Amino acid sequence: MHRYKSYNRKNITIVVTVVFFIACYLCGRLFYLMVAASENYAIKAQQLHERERSIKAERGTLYDRNGVIIAANKPVSTISVIHNQITDPEGVIKALSEALNLTEETVRKRVEKYSSIERIKSNVDKDTADYIRNLSLDGVMVDEDYKRFYPYSSLASKVIGFTGSDNQGIIGLEVEYDSYLQGVNGTILTLTTAHGIEIDDAAENRIEPIPGNSINLSLDVNIQKYAEQAATKVMEAKGANSVSLIVLNPQNGEIYAMANVPEFDLNNPYSFNEELKQKYEGVTLSSTEKTNLLNNMWRNPCISDTYEPGSTFKIVTATAALEEKVVKLTDRFFCPGFKIVEDRRIRCHKAGGHGSEDFIQGIKNSCNPVFMEIGARVGATKFYEYFDRLGLSSKTGVDLPGEANSIKHKLDNVGAVELATMSFGQSFQITPLQLLTAASAIVNGGKLITPHFGVSIQNAEGTVIKELTYKTTENVISKETSETMKMLLESVVSDGTGKRAYIPGFRIGGKTATSEKLPRRSGKYISSFIGFAPANNPKVMAIVMIDEPQGIYYGGTIAAPVVAEVFDNILPYMGFEPAYNEKELEEYNIGKFEVPNFMGLKKAEVVKKLKEYSFDEVTYLGEGEIVTEQFPLEGDMIELNSDLILYLE
Amino acid sequence: MEQGKRRKTKNYYDYSLLFLIIFLVCFGLVMIYSTSSYNAAKYYNDSTKFLRRQMLFAIAGIPLMIIVSKIDYHIYINKLPIIRIRPITLLFFLCIILQTVVLIIGEATGGSQRWLPLGPFGKFQPSELTKICVVLFTAYIVQLAPRRLDNFIGFLRVVAFVGPLLALVVVENFSTALIIAAIMVSICFVASRKKGYFIVAGILFIIVGSILVFGVSYRGERIEVWRNVETHPKGYQVLQGLYAIASGGLFGKGLGNSMQKLGFIPEAHNDMIFSVICEELGMFGAIAVIMLFLLLIWRLFTIAINAPDLYGGLIATGVLTHIAVQVLINIAVVTNSIPATGIPLPFISYGGSSLVVLLIEMGLVLSVSNKIEHER
Repeated sequence: MHRYKSYNRKNITIVVTVVFFIACYLCGRLFYLMVAASENYAIKAQQLHERERSIKAERGTLYDRNGVIIAANKPVSTISVIHNQITDPEGVIKALSEALNLTEETVRKRVEKYSSIERIKSNVDKDTADYIRNLSLDGVMVDEDYKRFYPYSSLASKVIGFTGSDNQGIIGLEVEYDSYLQGVNGTILTLTTAHGIEIDDAAENRIEPIPGNSINLSLDVNIQKYAEQAATKVMEAKGANSVSLIVLNPQNGEIYAMANVPEFDLNNPYSFNEELKQKYEGVTLSSTEKTNLLNNMWRNPCISDTYEPGSTFKIVTATAALEEKVVKLTDRFFCPGFKIVEDRRIRCHKAGGHGSEDFIQGIKNSCNPVFMEIGARVGATKFYEYFDRLGLSSKTGVDLPGEANSIKHKLDNVGAVELATMSFGQSFQITPLQLLTAASAIVNGGKLITPHFGVSIQNAEGTVIKELTYKTTENVISKETSETMKMLLESVVSDGTGKRAYIPGFRIGGKTATSEKLPRRSGKYISSFIGFAPANNPKVMAIVMIDEPQGIYYGGTIAAPVVAEVFDNILPYMGFEPAYNEKELEEYNIGKFEVPNFMGLKKAEVVKKLKEYSFDEVTYLGEGEIVTEQFPLEGDMIELNSDLILYLE
Repeated sequence: MEQGKRRKTKNYYDYSLLFLIIFLVCFGLVMIYSTSSYNAAKYYNDSTKFLRRQMLFAIAGIPLMIIVSKIDYHIYINKLPIIRIRPITLLFFLCIILQTVVLIIGEATGGSQRWLPLGPFGKFQPSELTKICVVLFTAYIVQLAPRRLDNFIGFLRVVAFVGPLLALVVVENFSTALIIAAIMVSICFVASRKKGYFIVAGILFIIVGSILVFGVSYRGERIEVWRNVETHPKGYQVLQGLYAIASGGLFGKGLGNSMQKLGFIPEAHNDMIFSVICEELGMFGAIAVIMLFLLLIWRLFTIAINAPDLYGGLIATGVLTHIAVQVLINIAVVTNSIPATGIPLPFISYGGSSLVVLLIEMGLVLSVSNKIEHER
């Protein structure tokens, strides 16, 4: 055995010293990791352990101009399964497929799929969700959620639009104001193991969702209803494809109503409306065909489709001519029923011609040769300038997605023939809303407005956080021209082609149009009418377009009464009192009288007395000879031509 | 012994070392339960599965250690009666055979053949036995002629003897080979009077090491992982360990409250156990554990310098090196101070054969301490 030498001991000391220093270095490294760098790594570790469950933010509400809710949310639930937490897969499959009306295979596939969380069904109504929650199955989660709900279902469907499964807007205002409406989703942070299983006693870290903002719209539910009623009535009566009707305030561009019948059910946007159902009953459609049909059903023709406006466009031509002072109201014209432009003979709508007429009569008659003449006097360059000034060369800027722009010849290509046809509204295309915007500027004193729906944005507490403002351009035409045009257009309704839009007691202005659809001679027409009231100071303006009416298709005959019907309803609703002039009082027998006493009179005496008063219809109730009761009562002031009810004994 | 004057002496026995070992083993059991119960319950439906297995090895290993400590360590280098072969030679050839066998019929885990199936006793890693063998065998070779180690040729002679074992281990298990080499070098170093050539040897070692590291694709990749632990896809395990360490802070989350052991760190009860200790016990707990190991090394050091003869001192040195290298490398890997390599934390990481081998080594050192004579 060898002795142990002192150098051996020294060497061991060296080894141990090295070990000691390395150990010290590692302690330093630990200190660095656990104290100095711990922030960085510990946060990452925390994020790793936390699982986010999102809490959906409630989408903002859409209110009409009177605060009526037109789009809101209703609570629904999402049912999902967490693979790792399911203890009784068969039981879960059975219970869920029964409760949710799904096939067992569908549920089985999702239950057996190895994923952290699998959605079984969303938009489950509250009762079903409560039922499933009460079963308290392991691994089945019921999450509260919201579903968009439209209380008026089909009202203004193409304007309001609807949302998709992720609460995002798909069409209409829901898309336009999506960023305001969406809100910020909240999260529930829970600690989980690497296998996604939540740790029971760990505190939940909850970030509350921020609900979306609400939008106050200029739309008026009642006006929209009147508009849709009137539009539906004429569509059915005339067997038309569709009818569009816009009502707006020409002073500031607020749109009160935009009806596009047939509408569709916003609560069920992926199923056909009645018209499509009837048309495609029993027809098997491919999914592409169905998608195309749905896209068409959702399309808003007021802003997305262009058409040749026809005679309503004469408003613009007349304005340009008056503003350029190339025509006076007293100028005389002669219409032989056509006008020769270069080598072309362009006809007037009246075969025999209107003969000799002044400019006012020319408008009242909607005489094409008159407008061809004044169009030529304005000239193509100036004429195009009025397109620009009146906003017909660019989109209106309405707060809806998918707006189309006008289509017209390049200025260089406009010869005499093109200019002549453009003068009465042919050979170019604009959207109905563009025409309405231009007409608004013409009758409101020369202010080009931006038509719009959104008025203000308010937060969930109801405080207005933003007033929406829109571009307006003042003085695109002079006040004088505007005044003249109002007078001219009122005369069209009181005494011209638009006389069917006349409502006694109100001053209505307007212009009719009948445009033949392309290709010509197809016998397909668009009848339209643009009208406003009161004619001296327009507060409401409307355009109606009847697409492919059957039978009589003249705008003055079928479109003007639609606007008259709408105005008849909404003018009193908007607070305009009828003011009759003497001629109207006489012609329409308007006035009031005091109801006399009929009580105690015999039937014969009643008949005699009735001759002195203008009751419309008299109804006798009961058997007998003596009047015991009467309605209206004696002394009431009633309208002329009212009904009278008498009870006999 | 050679001196005739005998004073009244008593044989020494290092009870504080024995206590330290038992404490570390028990602490290891607690940590194994803490780290493994979640996964054991999840995959085996039995949260104490790993704890019970480790406990069995601890219960078998501690008496074995005490028995070994009572055997005179000179027995291993003395020729057995009848067959006239030294037990150390037998052990050496047994290890050579086992290491060869494992390469042929071994059970592969994680891409490397390191395990021999042992039927009902589970499986056995021959490289663990090789560690004991190398400690005893190198000490034996060196003490035969310690003077020879004063030059490089003598050192190479030792390398030549241990070489076959080292070569067999390095094929499948780089990290164990590293430990074995460290044990061998450290024993030679302690026995040598001249140290200059160790610098040459060190350079040679680095060259050979680099060839081994970069020559084998998966080892070269580990360097990449080490440099870019946060972005490299294979840095997952180490990164999870770092997350655990950083989550611990100064005082930790409390025993049993680790989040990272819940499936984030794969097999948290194995090599990465120190990261969970950090997470649960904080920086103070982790440094306390390092202090325990330093204390253990200090006890081994005391035994090594007080050993009655060179052979005993070298055995203690070898065991000391073994423990120290394993602790340091394990903690360095867990803290991403060096590239990842699979070395368990002595006494604490889960692993039956590793624990038993360590306890036997401790028995050897205790046996050396038993020969220290001190005055009363």
